[in-house]
Amino acid sequence: MVPLLEMRGIVRTFGAVRANDGIDLDVAAGRIVGLLGENGSGKSTLMKLLFGMLPPDSGTIIFKGRELSGHRPAEAMLAGLAMIHQHFMLIEAMSVVDNVMLGWPAAGKLLRRAAVANQIRGASARFGLDLDPDAKVANLPLGRRQRVEILKAILRGADLLILDEPTSNLAPAEVAGLLTILRRLREEGRGIVFITHKLPEVLDVCDEVVVLRAGRVAGRAPVAGVSRAALAEMMVGRDTTHAHSPDPRPPGAVRLAVRGLRGPGLAGVEFDLHAGEILGVAGVDGNGQIELADTLAGLRRGEGSIVLNGQEIARASVAARMQAGLAYLPADRAQTSLVRAMTIAENFGLRDHAGFLLHPAARTAHAKELMTAYDVRAPGPQTVAARLSGGNAQKIVVGRELDRAPSVVIAHQAAWGLDPGATRFVLDRVVDLRNRGAAVLYISSELEEVLAIGDRVAVLSGGRFAGILSRDKIDLGQIGLWMAGQA
Amino acid sequence: MRFAIARDSLLPRIALAVALSLLCAAALIALSGHNPFTAFAAMLDGAAGSPHQFGVALNKSTPYLLAGSGVALCFRAGVINIGAEGQIAVGGAGAAATALAWPIDSPLPAILLALAGGAVAGSAWAAVAASIHLARHVHEVLVTLLLNFVAVLLVQQALAGPLGEFGAGFLQSPKMPAPVWLPRAIPGLDAHPGFILGVVLAAGLSFLLWRTRFGFSLRVAGASRPAALYAGFSVARITWGVMLLSGALAGLAGGIEVLGVQRRLIEGFSLGFGFKAVTVALLGALEPLAVVPAALFVGLLEAGSLSMQRQVGVPSSMVAVIEGLTMLFVLAATVRRRTA
Repeated sequence: MVPLLEMRGIVRTFGAVRANDGIDLDVAAGRIVGLLGENGSGKSTLMKLLFGMLPPDSGTIIFKGRELSGHRPAEAMLAGLAMIHQHFMLIEAMSVVDNVMLGWPAAGKLLRRAAVANQIRGASARFGLDLDPDAKVANLPLGRRQRVEILKAILRGADLLILDEPTSNLAPAEVAGLLTILRRLREEGRGIVFITHKLPEVLDVCDEVVVLRAGRVAGRAPVAGVSRAALAEMMVGRDTTHAHSPDPRPPGAVRLAVRGLRGPGLAGVEFDLHAGEILGVAGVDGNGQIELADTLAGLRRGEGSIVLNGQEIARASVAARMQAGLAYLPADRAQTSLVRAMTIAENFGLRDHAGFLLHPAARTAHAKELMTAYDVRAPGPQTVAARLSGGNAQKIVVGRELDRAPSVVIAHQAAWGLDPGATRFVLDRVVDLRNRGAAVLYISSELEEVLAIGDRVAVLSGGRFAGILSRDKIDLGQIGLWMAGQA
Repeated sequence: MRFAIARDSLLPRIALAVALSLLCAAALIALSGHNPFTAFAAMLDGAAGSPHQFGVALNKSTPYLLAGSGVALCFRAGVINIGAEGQIAVGGAGAAATALAWPIDSPLPAILLALAGGAVAGSAWAAVAASIHLARHVHEVLVTLLLNFVAVLLVQQALAGPLGEFGAGFLQSPKMPAPVWLPRAIPGLDAHPGFILGVVLAAGLSFLLWRTRFGFSLRVAGASRPAALYAGFSVARITWGVMLLSGALAGLAGGIEVLGVQRRLIEGFSLGFGFKAVTVALLGALEPLAVVPAALFVGLLEAGSLSMQRQVGVPSSMVAVIEGLTMLFVLAATVRRRTA
């Protein structure tokens, strides 16, 4: 079979990170290829390169026998590629037919509304899209909106459709409908790349599957004859080196007890966190990580019980939780844990509440000490935080939060985007604190990191813990299944 | 809508903006067939040519200084309060009503009481805006802006009724009792002490902003709302604080205008003051102490505008053009997009 798309030896680096490290991908006409992989495995980068949103460092892309290079998204669309994003690119206040005509040269300079509406009815019947051209997008459920995107791709004559996590926002019935539509598109001889984390859908609809891990192809196989367990293992990898060997000490007293934590994005999280323990929380982004961290720290309200050192804090203010010994390293450093326009000294004092007057001299002196202790490299305490590298900026947050000797630490993506040296520094500090008896909840979408640092590992999926394994019982297959939404 | 101010090299930027606006004004004056140098000289002469004239300029600067430093505080907290216009009007009415309702014979207590009445009234009007904004989540620009019109009409209504002077052909109150008239207290100048009070209060606000925990919390809130939440500061409390403070300052500005300049409450006595206070706050880079020269600049321009018209024949409305140009240049030079 002649491939519709051939990508060969695709490389793309961001600084020191090799996001795509020599990837080959083939898609034949009339085939659905599942593209699997964790966050950061390189799926999105690969698709952005294909679609011309980013240029590759090296490698070739041949689409319908023609080489694509230096192309822009508009040219990719004209060539017959269509990308359907996770978040739809539709104008809600407009009707389906208006959205289809938007940016479509074939709709004519004088808009041929009625003709386009007829085309929509035709395509809608042919593929079972069940779309009314005059319906307003704002009134459509998410599943229908996605069909509008698919309709746009069909009418524009796309030969290859890329769907980026198309089922993540859909209800189960809508998922079934989508898969039916995809099968019809396949029958027509169009090629489809189906990006997902979810194994059941891959097995259900795909013809073959390509698994990416750390920017490389970790495996490829026809779907017939591959098992879920094998796919899960390909996705998470096998040889995880445990950087921090665990102290096999008996768990201490319960520091943080969470019961029935619910709210937007949270569906009943329950766990106990003990003194002298790091509970690593793995999971695909968007499964309630931000909600869990923010709710524990008091930045969002949730229902349920949070008991910190024997004291119920579910209704307490952010400041009261801090007083009670809770430290928080949020994932968002650009807006939340640092004020970029303020100085290093002011950022170290961001969460101080004592006293009416500020004492700039004392604050500067304290900031100097912390800069030394936490290895913040900058000209001085009066340097504005915006001038610092990501690693140095995060060290301010780490210093501020950990220097108070908290009894419980919530860390979310604490080492995300840092260079290896800074990552090591942050992880070492967290482990030090654990060794001195603190309890740490370490949430990260980097599974390797969670496995390396966690004394126990939980998997957050669909807003709840799918399960918790202690370190001596780590089963990557099981973790992979949990991450892929298999209870 | 949030403002982010580019803090590095602010003063040279503002100086450049002022210079550019004067340059443009000079070009406009030249286009209208007059010599820009004589026009500016006439303006300077009218603004500071004599102690009397300079006193007038100080008096004109006073409401801009008081209300502008309050607006600066709000903007620092990310609360875009455009309501000084109404708060000044209500403050003037509050001061007049207090002075008329509780006449006191000795000047100092009489003045303090009347000014307190103005400050409380301005603060109360700001509280209306703050409560609508916080309770109903209506954008503060909308609430404060629209309440200005309500405030001006309320003051008119009061002048048509209980506060009005019976038989006067114009909407105005009776003359204030003499004890509450602000003395010409600055030696050698024909000026009331309002400007001095404004400088002291601006220094106080600057201290509040840079040296107190509350000032720190409001700067954090202005820089990033998520960071304020994370730090454990209550954005609602901060909003209340800056709104009440700036309302009190605007009310004080209205009271001083009534007691020190008009000596009665007159319909439209503060027309445009509050909007110009926003200009002045931005011209002063939202730093209360820098609002002092900014207010003085605008006061001098306005005091000099009439003499420019008399001596050179350039219409006094040219000053409004200069103010507008200054505002545009200052905004272009200092405000940058937050996403950078």
